Amino acid sequence: MNEKLRRLLTPEGVRDLLPELAGQKRELEKRIQASFSRWGYGEVSTPAFEYSANFVDEMKAELTDKLYRFLDERGRTLVLRPDFTLPLARVVATHLAASPLPLRLCYGGDIYRYAHGQQGKQRVVTQAGVELIGSGCAGADAEVIALAVDVLLELGLAEFTFCLGHAGFLERMLTAYGVAAAERETIKFYFNNKDFVALKMLVQSLALSEKAKEAILRVPGLRGGKEILAEAAGLVPGGAADEPLRLLAEVWEVLADYGATKFITLDLGLVRMLDYYTGMVFEGYTGGLGYALCGGGRYDQLLGHFGPQRPAVGFAINVDHVLKVLQRGRELPAGSALAFVGYGKAQRAAAFAKAALLRQAGERVLVDVEERPQEAALAEGERLGAAKVVYLDGRAGNG
Amino acid sequence: MVNKDWLTVALAKGRMLPPALELFEKAGIGCGQLRETSRKLVFTVEEHKLRFILAKPMDIPTYVEYGVADLGVVGKDVLMEQEKELYELLDLKIGPCRLAVAQKCGGGKFNGGYVATKYPRVAERYFQGQGKQAEVIKLHGSIELAPLLNLADAIVDLVSTGKTLIEHHLEEIEVIAQITSRLVANPGSYQVKGVRVTDLLQRLEAVLTEGEAKPC
Repeated sequence: MNEKLRRLLTPEGVRDLLPELAGQKRELEKRIQASFSRWGYGEVSTPAFEYSANFVDEMKAELTDKLYRFLDERGRTLVLRPDFTLPLARVVATHLAASPLPLRLCYGGDIYRYAHGQQGKQRVVTQAGVELIGSGCAGADAEVIALAVDVLLELGLAEFTFCLGHAGFLERMLTAYGVAAAERETIKFYFNNKDFVALKMLVQSLALSEKAKEAILRVPGLRGGKEILAEAAGLVPGGAADEPLRLLAEVWEVLADYGATKFITLDLGLVRMLDYYTGMVFEGYTGGLGYALCGGGRYDQLLGHFGPQRPAVGFAINVDHVLKVLQRGRELPAGSALAFVGYGKAQRAAAFAKAALLRQAGERVLVDVEERPQEAALAEGERLGAAKVVYLDGRAGNG
Repeated sequence: MVNKDWLTVALAKGRMLPPALELFEKAGIGCGQLRETSRKLVFTVEEHKLRFILAKPMDIPTYVEYGVADLGVVGKDVLMEQEKELYELLDLKIGPCRLAVAQKCGGGKFNGGYVATKYPRVAERYFQGQGKQAEVIKLHGSIELAPLLNLADAIVDLVSTGKTLIEHHLEEIEVIAQITSRLVANPGSYQVKGVRVTDLLQRLEAVLTEGEAKPC
């Protein structure tokens, strides 16, 4: 490849979107925000970069390794936002500190993370999401899940499943069986990757009772409807995990009244590693797509790092993944019809008026800026694939 | 286009195929048609709503990653080399061997140098982790030739009995990992087709535990 062409390509992990797809993506984002708005969530926009100090303390090392950092003119470190939850937490602790609770906020835009070692992985990802702040009840948990389901349905996705778990379940179970902290982290890491082979090897090598090993290795199989919660309770000694299980049962009940449980699978092995979750967690998947369409959960400790402690729950949709699925299923709406308006010079004003009229009716209208004569204009309209070609000549009037 | 009822499983053509089929058959899934030598690459087992596709081992993670197959049976060596985001559900204990470092007999301690392998990423990661500088050379087969022709100081390759190494006057010096075939899943399929995947997983697991209980 010659040097000039190399310079014209985009860096690894970012890409250009051309007219049709870019328009479809914009449309998708608009429809998502419209859904959020119908549920009463108000949009917040935050800058693409902020002081590093705002973020880095609150993050796990896995995320700080992926930050885009640079210096401002006075040598302070800035980072491109790696997600929206942290900037929104800052906004809530500052500008909205005096607002009545609960707050329902939404956002949409790009986040930036280095993706290491994986081919084809995007480094700029478009997200759209919500945060419900100031309410710690099961109803708030259920609302954001029901909203996520509503959005996917609204977008025309036919087949998807949400898995729903609790960040505290595994932690409590492992602690109750006396698993050491370092090993608890490794076990959760394997659950996060669903690497059940490594999980089995590790658990069997630990100095635990057979009963404990069996119970831990049963967790990957704890997937299904409400009935798995009773079995799960029986696997944890001394009722140590009753609280998370009770909460999940409650969330399930509320979701049933939303009519959403047919999209939900309870999955007690669900772990979301890179985040700050304290309660229920969930992810949405569709068939054949190797990554989640959306994900989120409850994070009651995070806001305390910026201001007063407040319970919070939210999720983000990966717009690029949804776009990919809709594109694959050819379910993206086509643009409206294309019209081409040509004219003889004497009719220029009339032609512009006609074009304006068609645009008002929602059509995409091209005006022949070259002012070609009738025959050439008709040919040009056809070449451009216009569904309708209008020609206003100097004599007979309209076309 | 996603059919929730049907499951597609990608299997590797070649020497790993017969033991994989045997495992599926013990789990009650008749797949005799796959044993017939034909050029067919897609097979359907109507009774169990299963579709099998046959592919090159190195391509199986790709088929599963893109969702063309929901599940795949593939060696841990391939998974380690490709690092795709797949779920590793079950160790099928098929084709046990090890990924090892070998060099010419009597070579002493290996402290870095040229390494020939089919697994460049695994090799690079391994030697980096050991703090050794290795120049990795990617080959597509007959790796044991490389030290004999002085193309490389050592090789990273699969070793099962060690016979091939001995024939070429090579000795195994370090084991990187124990290798067997694994059942892997596409994350989306694992969630959306959860019931089907769990059912198959449990059938296969039952066969494997039975095998463990009765050593032959």
